[in-house]
Amino acid sequence: MTSIDILSELKSNKVAAEIKAGRRLDGRKMDEYRKITIENNISDNADGSARVRLGDTDVMSGVKMIVGEPYPDSPDKGSISVGVELLPLASRYFETGPPREAAIELSRVVDRGIRESKTLDFKDLCLVEGEKVLVAFIDGYTINHAGNLFDACSIAAMSALLEARIPKIEDNKIIHGEYEGKLKIKRKPVLNTFAKIGSTVIADPSIDEENAMDARFSVSTTEDDYMCAFQKGGPGSFTGEEISTAIDTAFKNSKNIRKLFK
Amino acid sequence: MKRIVVPGELITDKRKKTGSHVFVREGKIYSEVIGLANDEGEYASVVPLEGSYIPMRNDLIVGVVSGEKFSGYDVGINTLYPTYLSKKEIRDRLKVGSILSAKIRDIDERREVDIENIRVLYDGEIITVSPVKVPRIIGREGSMLNVLKDGTGSSIIVGRNGWIWAKGGNIPLLIESINKIESEAHTANLTNKMEEFLSKKAGKKVNAPKAKEEKAPKMEDKNVDKKDEMIEDEKGDLIG
Amino acid sequence: MAKKNETKVLVDKKGKRIDGRGVNDIRPLKIEAGVIPNADGSASLEWGQNKVIVSVYGPKECLPKHTQNPYKAVIKCNYRMATFSVPDRKNPRPARREIEISKVSGEALEKAIFVERFPGTEIDIDIEIIDSNAGTRVAGLVAAAVALADAGIPMKDLVAGVGVGKADGHLLVDLNKDEEDADDAVDIPLAILPNSEELVLLQMDGLLTRKEWDKALKMGIEASKKVYEVQKEALKKKYENVKVKEVAK
Repeated sequence: MTSIDILSELKSNKVAAEIKAGRRLDGRKMDEYRKITIENNISDNADGSARVRLGDTDVMSGVKMIVGEPYPDSPDKGSISVGVELLPLASRYFETGPPREAAIELSRVVDRGIRESKTLDFKDLCLVEGEKVLVAFIDGYTINHAGNLFDACSIAAMSALLEARIPKIEDNKIIHGEYEGKLKIKRKPVLNTFAKIGSTVIADPSIDEENAMDARFSVSTTEDDYMCAFQKGGPGSFTGEEISTAIDTAFKNSKNIRKLFK
Repeated sequence: MKRIVVPGELITDKRKKTGSHVFVREGKIYSEVIGLANDEGEYASVVPLEGSYIPMRNDLIVGVVSGEKFSGYDVGINTLYPTYLSKKEIRDRLKVGSILSAKIRDIDERREVDIENIRVLYDGEIITVSPVKVPRIIGREGSMLNVLKDGTGSSIIVGRNGWIWAKGGNIPLLIESINKIESEAHTANLTNKMEEFLSKKAGKKVNAPKAKEEKAPKMEDKNVDKKDEMIEDEKGDLIG
Repeated sequence: MAKKNETKVLVDKKGKRIDGRGVNDIRPLKIEAGVIPNADGSASLEWGQNKVIVSVYGPKECLPKHTQNPYKAVIKCNYRMATFSVPDRKNPRPARREIEISKVSGEALEKAIFVERFPGTEIDIDIEIIDSNAGTRVAGLVAAAVALADAGIPMKDLVAGVGVGKADGHLLVDLNKDEEDADDAVDIPLAILPNSEELVLLQMDGLLTRKEWDKALKMGIEASKKVYEVQKEALKKKYENVKVKEVAK
C-alpha cells in the first residue's frame, strides 16, 4: 500500500464517522450537488463539444459523426455510441491501456442514460435507407477525478449532443467544416448518482465519499417525468425505500441541472 | 529582492557559493526548479515553490502505519521510498492506520528510510500540504506555528513531509489557515497577515510568542538546506 | 479548405500569409500552469486552434518493476489525440503516429530533467490533444515542459519548440494546416533547450535543400525563444496572481 492509499483510508473512516453524525466533510446537505459549470464548444474540430466541472471533477466530451452502414435489422436508422475514457490525466490511479471494468461500466451507464431516453430519433440519422446512415460518436474524457464521474460525464455528453451540428454530406462523404442544421433533441435526460455510506444515502459523492461508500445508485431522469436507466454498483445494498427516496431527490435535482443546458 | 525563477533561468553570472536547487553551467549559476531565487549574500540559492518530499536525515516527519509484518511495520511518510519501523523501537502496539511522528535516522543505499524517536499520536487527523510549503507553515523559529496554535487552540505537529497532525481546537479554521498559507507561501509578511486573519476569525488578539516546548524541526545535518536557512535567517522574511 | 493538389498562393508579395502573419510569426499562444488539481504538475495550452492539456505524475515508484532503471528516473510520455480533435474521427486506439510522437517527445524532455536524481522511479507525462490544426506535437511538448516545472521536478532548462518548414516556396515558422497541406510542403518540428540551443526534438518530411535548412534552423531557434518567453510567463503568473489579488483588496 502506498502512502497516499493509507491516507485516503484514514479519510474514509472520517467521512463515514461524519456522515453517521449527519454531516458531510465539505459541508453540503445530503442531497446537495457541488457547483456545476458547463463550457461549450471546446474543440472546433468536433461537431459538438463541452467541458463540465462538477466541483473539482473535470471532464470533457465531443461529438463526431461519420457515415456508416445501418444495422440489417434497422435499415432506416442511424445510431449513436457513447464512451468514456479514464485518461491518466485525471488521477494517479488511472493507467494508459485498454479500458478496464470501471471504465466500461461508466461508459455503458452514460450511454444508457442518454440512449434509452429516446432523445434522438435514429431515423433522423438515415441518409440512404439500407445503405448509408450517420453514426454519432460521443466520446468523453476525464481531466480531473474528484468524484462522481458518472454524472459529470453524462452532463458533458448531453451538453455536447445538444450542441452537435449535422455535417454537410455530398456523395455520402462528410464535408468538413460545413454543417446543415442541428441534431433534433427531444429530451434532456440527467443522470443522478447517489452513494450509500453506512445507512445514509447522499447525492453527488465526492472522491472521499466514493472511497468510503458501500454502494452506489444512479438513475437517469427526463423532464417529462420518466426514468430511463438505473445502475446499482458496489458491494453494499439498498432498501426499496432508499431507492424510492433517491428517485424523488433525482427528479428534484435534475430540474436544476437541466437549467444549465444551453 | 527575491524573484520567481523557472528551471534553467539564470540567477547570477557572479562567482558565488552554490546553495540548494541551483546548478552551474559555464561559470554561471542557474535555477533547477521553479522557486524564489536569492543571490544577495555569499550564496546563490533557490527555495522551491513546488515539488515532492525527498526524505533527509534528521527530518521530523508525520507517518501512518500502512502495513504490519512479523517484526515491524510499514509506515507511509508521503514518499515513494519504503519506510520500515522495527517493533523493537517502540513499546506501543500499533495497527494499520496508527499515526506517529518520528525523526529520520538514515536513508540507506537501497533508499529505504529508517526512523527513530517514535511518538505515537492518538486520535486527531492529518492535514496535507505541499512539502515545499512546510517551512512557511512553521515560520522562523516556529513563529507561524505558534500563531496557528494560538488562533485555533489545536495541538499541531508539522511533519517535514507535508503531513500535519492536528487534534482539538478549531480544526476547520486550522485547515482554512493552512490553505491560506499554502496559496500565499511566496508572499512577504505572511506571519503578520496570518495573525490578523486569525485574530479576526477567532475574535481575539492572536500573536506569536517565541517558541517554548515545541520547536520547529531543525535541519542540522543537511548541508545544502542549512545554507538555505542561513540566508533566510539573514534576510528574515522568507521563512518567518 | 485547401486540397493537396490545388495550387494556392499561401504567401503574398508583401510576405503576408493567408492568416495575416509574417513568415517569422507564430500563431497566438496562451499557456496556463497548474490546471489539474490531482496532478503533481499540469498545464493547458492554446496555440492557434491547437488545444492541449498535460499532466505530470511523479517521480513515483516505477512499475512494472522490470521497467525500472537503477541509475535514473524513467520518463513515460504518452501523447494522445481525442477522437474529436481532428477533422475525421480518430480511432480511440493509439495509432503508430501517436506512439512515435510519445517516444520522441519523452526523449526530448528527458534531456532537460535531472533524471539521475530519482533512480528506480518513473515520471508520467500525459499529453492530450483536444483540438488540432498542425503543430500539435510541439504544442504538446511545450505544454509538457511547463507541467514538469509546475511539478517541481529539477530541470536543466525548459524545452521550447516550434514547427518550421516550407510552403508555396517560402520558409515559414509555425505552419498551419493549409500551409502543411501545400504541394511543396516541408514540415520540421523542432525543440531546443533555450539556454544552450541544443536540439532535443528534430523531425522532417519533405524536400529541403542544405541552404534552406540553415535558414530554417535559425528561424526555428528564434521562434522557439519567443515560445520560451510565454512558458516562463505562464509559470510565474501562477504565483503572481496571488499578489495581484492582494493589491485589489
